[in-house]
Amino acid sequence: MRPLTAFAVNPTDVRFETQEEAEKVILFLRQHFIVNIPWMLITFFLFITPTVIFPRLFHAVSLNLMLPTPYYAIGTIFWYLATFGFALASFIGWFFNIYIVTDERIVDIDFLYLLYKKFSEAELAKIQDIHYTSGGILATIFNYGDVVVETAGEAPNIIFEAIPFPEKVVETIRELTESEEAESI
Amino acid sequence: MTPTVIPAVALMTLKILGIVGLCIYTVFAGVLVRQEQLMAHVLEEQFQPIIRMFILVHLVASLLLLICAIILL
Repeated sequence: MRPLTAFAVNPTDVRFETQEEAEKVILFLRQHFIVNIPWMLITFFLFITPTVIFPRLFHAVSLNLMLPTPYYAIGTIFWYLATFGFALASFIGWFFNIYIVTDERIVDIDFLYLLYKKFSEAELAKIQDIHYTSGGILATIFNYGDVVVETAGEAPNIIFEAIPFPEKVVETIRELTESEEAESI
Repeated sequence: MTPTVIPAVALMTLKILGIVGLCIYTVFAGVLVRQEQLMAHVLEEQFQPIIRMFILVHLVASLLLLICAIILL
Protein backbone atom coordinates (compact mmCIF):
# COMPACT_ATOMS: atom_id res chain seq x y z
CA MET A 1 0.00 0.00 0.00
CA ARG A 2 1.32 3.46 -0.93
CA PRO A 3 2.08 5.75 2.02
CA LEU A 4 -0.66 8.34 2.68
CA THR A 5 -3.10 6.53 0.44
CA ALA A 6 -6.78 7.35 0.85
CA PHE A 7 -8.10 4.36 -1.08
CA ALA A 8 -6.59 0.89 -1.04
CA VAL A 9 -8.17 -2.35 -2.22
CA ASN A 10 -7.06 -5.58 -0.50
CA PRO A 11 -4.12 -3.98 1.35
CA THR A 12 -1.77 -6.57 2.81
CA ASP A 13 0.27 -4.43 5.20
CA VAL A 14 -2.51 -2.97 7.36
CA ARG A 15 -3.77 -4.29 10.66
CA PHE A 16 -6.19 -2.71 13.12
CA GLU A 17 -6.86 -3.14 16.81
CA THR A 18 -9.65 -5.71 16.91
CA GLN A 19 -8.88 -7.51 13.67
CA GLU A 20 -9.26 -11.27 13.96
CA GLU A 21 -6.75 -13.73 12.53
CA ALA A 22 -8.96 -14.91 9.67
CA GLU A 23 -10.45 -11.48 8.98
CA LYS A 24 -9.33 -9.93 5.71
CA VAL A 25 -9.24 -6.20 4.99
CA ILE A 26 -11.00 -5.52 1.68
CA LEU A 27 -10.98 -1.72 1.63
CA PHE A 28 -8.84 0.76 3.50
CA LEU A 29 -10.08 4.34 3.29
CA ARG A 30 -9.30 7.83 4.50
CA GLN A 31 -10.82 11.15 3.63
CA HIS A 32 -9.69 12.44 0.24
CA PHE A 33 -6.33 14.21 0.46
CA ILE A 34 -7.98 17.39 -0.81
CA VAL A 35 -9.61 17.89 2.62
CA ASN A 36 -6.12 18.77 3.90
CA ILE A 37 -5.91 21.88 1.74
CA PRO A 38 -7.52 24.31 4.29
CA TRP A 39 -5.04 23.53 7.09
CA MET A 40 -2.17 23.57 4.58
CA LEU A 41 -3.17 27.09 3.49
CA ILE A 42 -3.44 28.20 7.13
CA THR A 43 0.02 26.72 7.79
CA PHE A 44 1.45 28.60 4.80
CA PHE A 45 -0.16 31.82 6.01
CA LEU A 46 1.23 31.31 9.54
CA PHE A 47 4.66 30.48 8.08
CA ILE A 48 4.97 33.73 6.12
CA THR A 49 3.40 35.90 8.82
CA PRO A 50 6.59 36.81 10.78
CA THR A 51 8.52 37.82 7.67
CA VAL A 52 5.80 39.26 5.44
CA ILE A 53 2.77 40.31 7.46
CA PHE A 54 4.13 41.42 10.86
CA PRO A 55 6.65 43.96 9.47
CA ARG A 56 3.96 45.55 7.30
CA LEU A 57 1.44 45.50 10.15
CA PHE A 58 3.86 47.09 12.66
CA HIS A 59 4.83 49.69 10.06
CA ALA A 60 1.18 50.47 9.34
CA VAL A 61 0.35 51.06 13.02
CA SER A 62 3.69 52.84 13.63
CA LEU A 63 4.65 50.29 16.28
CA ASN A 64 8.37 50.20 17.03
CA LEU A 65 8.86 48.26 20.26
CA MET A 66 12.32 48.06 21.79
CA LEU A 67 12.29 44.48 23.09
CA PRO A 68 15.51 42.73 24.14
CA THR A 69 16.85 40.40 21.42
CA PRO A 70 16.13 37.10 23.30
CA TYR A 71 12.42 37.98 23.35
CA TYR A 72 12.40 38.33 19.57
CA ALA A 73 14.39 35.10 19.14
CA ILE A 74 12.26 33.00 21.51
CA GLY A 75 9.05 34.53 20.15
CA THR A 76 9.99 33.82 16.53
CA ILE A 77 11.11 30.24 17.22
CA PHE A 78 7.93 29.62 19.23
CA TRP A 79 5.82 30.98 16.38
CA TYR A 80 7.39 28.52 13.88
CA LEU A 81 7.24 25.65 16.38
CA ALA A 82 3.54 26.30 17.02
CA THR A 83 2.94 26.46 13.26
CA PHE A 84 4.68 23.10 12.91
CA GLY A 85 2.62 21.72 15.82
CA PHE A 86 -0.60 22.92 14.21
CA ALA A 87 0.32 21.25 10.92
CA LEU A 88 1.36 18.05 12.71
CA ALA A 89 -1.88 17.83 14.74
CA SER A 90 -3.96 18.52 11.63
CA PHE A 91 -2.07 15.90 9.65
CA ILE A 92 -2.35 13.13 12.24
CA GLY A 93 -6.04 13.98 12.61
CA TRP A 94 -6.43 13.12 8.91
CA PHE A 95 -3.97 10.22 8.93
CA PHE A 96 -5.64 8.31 11.77
CA ASN A 97 -9.23 9.03 10.78
CA ILE A 98 -9.78 5.80 8.87
CA TYR A 99 -12.50 3.57 7.50
CA ILE A 100 -12.00 -0.13 6.98
CA VAL A 101 -14.16 -2.66 5.20
CA THR A 102 -13.36 -6.29 5.96
CA ASP A 103 -15.00 -9.49 4.78
CA GLU A 104 -16.98 -9.54 8.07
CA ARG A 105 -17.72 -5.93 9.06
CA ILE A 106 -17.11 -2.27 8.46
CA VAL A 107 -15.08 -0.23 10.91
CA ASP A 108 -14.90 3.53 11.47
CA ILE A 109 -12.03 4.80 13.61
CA ASP A 110 -12.10 8.50 14.45
CA PHE A 111 -9.69 10.57 16.47
CA LEU A 112 -11.15 13.96 17.31
CA TYR A 113 -9.53 16.93 19.03
CA LEU A 114 -6.49 14.80 19.99
CA LEU A 115 -8.10 13.36 23.11
CA TYR A 116 -11.27 11.73 21.83
CA LYS A 117 -11.26 8.35 20.12
CA LYS A 118 -14.33 6.76 18.56
CA PHE A 119 -14.40 3.18 17.31
CA SER A 120 -17.61 2.17 15.50
CA GLU A 121 -18.28 -1.07 13.72
CA ALA A 122 -21.16 -2.81 12.00
CA GLU A 123 -21.33 -6.41 10.91
CA LEU A 124 -22.08 -6.87 7.23
CA ALA A 125 -25.13 -8.98 8.10
CA LYS A 126 -26.65 -6.02 9.99
CA ILE A 127 -26.37 -3.52 7.16
CA GLN A 128 -29.81 -2.52 5.94
CA ASP A 129 -29.10 0.16 3.40
CA ILE A 130 -26.11 1.90 1.90
CA HIS A 131 -25.95 5.00 -0.25
CA TYR A 132 -23.64 7.88 -1.02
CA THR A 133 -23.89 11.60 -1.55
CA SER A 134 -21.47 13.72 -3.49
CA GLY A 135 -21.95 17.41 -4.13
CA GLY A 136 -20.05 20.62 -4.72
CA ILE A 137 -17.40 21.68 -7.18
CA LEU A 138 -14.41 20.06 -5.46
CA ALA A 139 -16.27 16.79 -4.78
CA THR A 140 -17.25 16.60 -8.44
CA ILE A 141 -13.78 17.38 -9.73
CA PHE A 142 -11.92 15.06 -7.37
CA ASN A 143 -14.65 12.42 -7.14
CA TYR A 144 -15.20 12.11 -3.42
CA GLY A 145 -18.31 11.97 -1.25
CA ASP A 146 -19.98 10.64 1.88
CA VAL A 147 -21.06 7.01 2.13
CA VAL A 148 -23.87 6.38 4.61
CA VAL A 149 -24.25 2.86 5.98
CA GLU A 150 -27.57 2.28 7.76
CA THR A 151 -27.61 -0.58 10.22
CA ALA A 152 -30.35 -2.61 11.83
CA GLY A 153 -31.30 -2.16 15.47
CA GLU A 154 -30.10 0.58 17.77
CA ALA A 155 -26.60 0.74 16.35
CA PRO A 156 -25.90 4.21 14.96
CA ASN A 157 -25.37 4.65 11.24
CA ILE A 158 -21.80 4.78 10.05
CA ILE A 159 -20.79 7.62 7.76
CA PHE A 160 -17.62 7.52 5.69
CA GLU A 161 -16.97 11.22 5.15
CA ALA A 162 -15.35 12.67 2.02
CA ILE A 163 -13.87 9.39 0.83
CA PRO A 164 -12.58 8.94 -2.72
CA PHE A 165 -14.55 6.83 -5.23
CA PRO A 166 -17.74 6.55 -3.10
CA GLU A 167 -19.54 4.61 -5.85
CA LYS A 168 -16.87 1.89 -5.80
CA VAL A 169 -17.10 1.69 -2.01
CA VAL A 170 -20.88 1.33 -2.11
CA GLU A 171 -20.58 -1.34 -4.82
CA THR A 172 -17.96 -3.28 -2.87
CA ILE A 173 -19.92 -3.20 0.41
CA ARG A 174 -23.10 -4.22 -1.44
CA GLU A 175 -21.32 -7.21 -3.01
CA LEU A 176 -19.95 -8.21 0.39
CA THR A 177 -23.34 -7.98 2.10
CA GLU A 178 -24.95 -10.01 -0.69
CA SER A 179 -22.35 -12.76 -0.43
CA GLU A 180 -22.76 -12.66 3.38
CA GLU A 181 -26.54 -13.12 2.97
CA ALA A 182 -26.00 -15.96 0.48
CA GLU A 183 -23.70 -17.70 2.98
CA SER A 184 -26.26 -17.41 5.77
CA ILE A 185 -29.07 -18.96 3.70
CA MET B 1 10.39 56.76 14.37
CA THR B 2 11.63 56.65 18.00
CA PRO B 3 11.61 53.14 19.49
CA THR B 4 9.27 52.66 22.44
CA VAL B 5 11.19 51.36 25.47
CA ILE B 6 9.21 48.79 27.44
CA PRO B 7 9.23 49.17 31.26
CA ALA B 8 10.82 46.42 33.39
CA VAL B 9 7.47 45.39 34.93
CA ALA B 10 6.00 44.81 31.48
CA LEU B 11 9.05 42.78 30.47
CA MET B 12 8.73 40.64 33.60
CA THR B 13 5.02 40.07 32.85
CA LEU B 14 5.92 39.14 29.27
CA LYS B 15 8.56 36.72 30.55
CA ILE B 16 6.15 34.99 32.95
CA LEU B 17 3.42 34.77 30.33
CA GLY B 18 5.91 33.45 27.77
CA ILE B 19 7.20 30.72 30.08
CA VAL B 20 3.69 29.70 31.16
CA GLY B 21 2.64 29.60 27.49
CA LEU B 22 5.65 27.44 26.61
CA CYS B 23 4.88 25.10 29.53
CA ILE B 24 1.33 24.64 28.20
CA TYR B 25 2.68 24.13 24.70
CA THR B 26 5.13 21.46 25.93
CA VAL B 27 2.22 19.63 27.57
CA PHE B 28 0.43 19.78 24.20
CA ALA B 29 3.54 18.30 22.52
CA GLY B 30 3.52 15.51 25.14
CA VAL B 31 -0.17 14.85 24.47
CA LEU B 32 0.64 14.50 20.76
CA VAL B 33 3.24 11.83 21.59
CA ARG B 34 0.79 9.92 23.78
CA GLN B 35 -1.94 10.23 21.18
CA GLU B 36 0.34 8.86 18.47
CA GLN B 37 1.15 5.89 20.71
CA LEU B 38 -2.56 5.17 21.16
CA MET B 39 -3.21 5.54 17.46
CA ALA B 40 -0.32 3.25 16.58
CA HIS B 41 -1.90 0.65 18.85
CA VAL B 42 -5.19 0.90 16.95
CA LEU B 43 -3.71 0.91 13.46
CA GLU B 44 -0.47 -0.63 12.21
CA GLU B 45 0.81 1.00 9.06
CA GLN B 46 4.16 1.55 7.30
CA PHE B 47 4.22 5.35 7.48
CA GLN B 48 3.91 5.51 11.28
CA PRO B 49 7.64 5.58 12.17
CA ILE B 50 8.02 8.79 10.14
CA ILE B 51 5.11 10.46 11.96
CA ARG B 52 6.53 9.26 15.29
CA MET B 53 9.88 10.83 14.43
CA PHE B 54 8.28 14.20 13.61
CA ILE B 55 6.24 14.13 16.82
CA LEU B 56 9.29 13.32 18.95
CA VAL B 57 11.32 16.07 17.23
CA HIS B 58 8.44 18.45 18.02
CA LEU B 59 8.44 17.43 21.69
CA VAL B 60 12.23 17.77 22.00
CA ALA B 61 12.13 21.19 20.28
CA SER B 62 9.38 22.33 22.66
CA LEU B 63 11.39 21.22 25.70
CA LEU B 64 14.57 22.89 24.40
CA LEU B 65 12.69 26.11 23.70
CA LEU B 66 11.20 26.08 27.19
CA ILE B 67 14.66 25.64 28.72
CA CYS B 68 16.07 28.40 26.49
CA ALA B 69 13.19 30.71 27.50
CA ILE B 70 13.84 30.08 31.21
CA ILE B 71 17.56 30.80 30.76
CA LEU B 72 17.46 33.69 28.28
CA LEU B 73 14.36 35.70 29.13
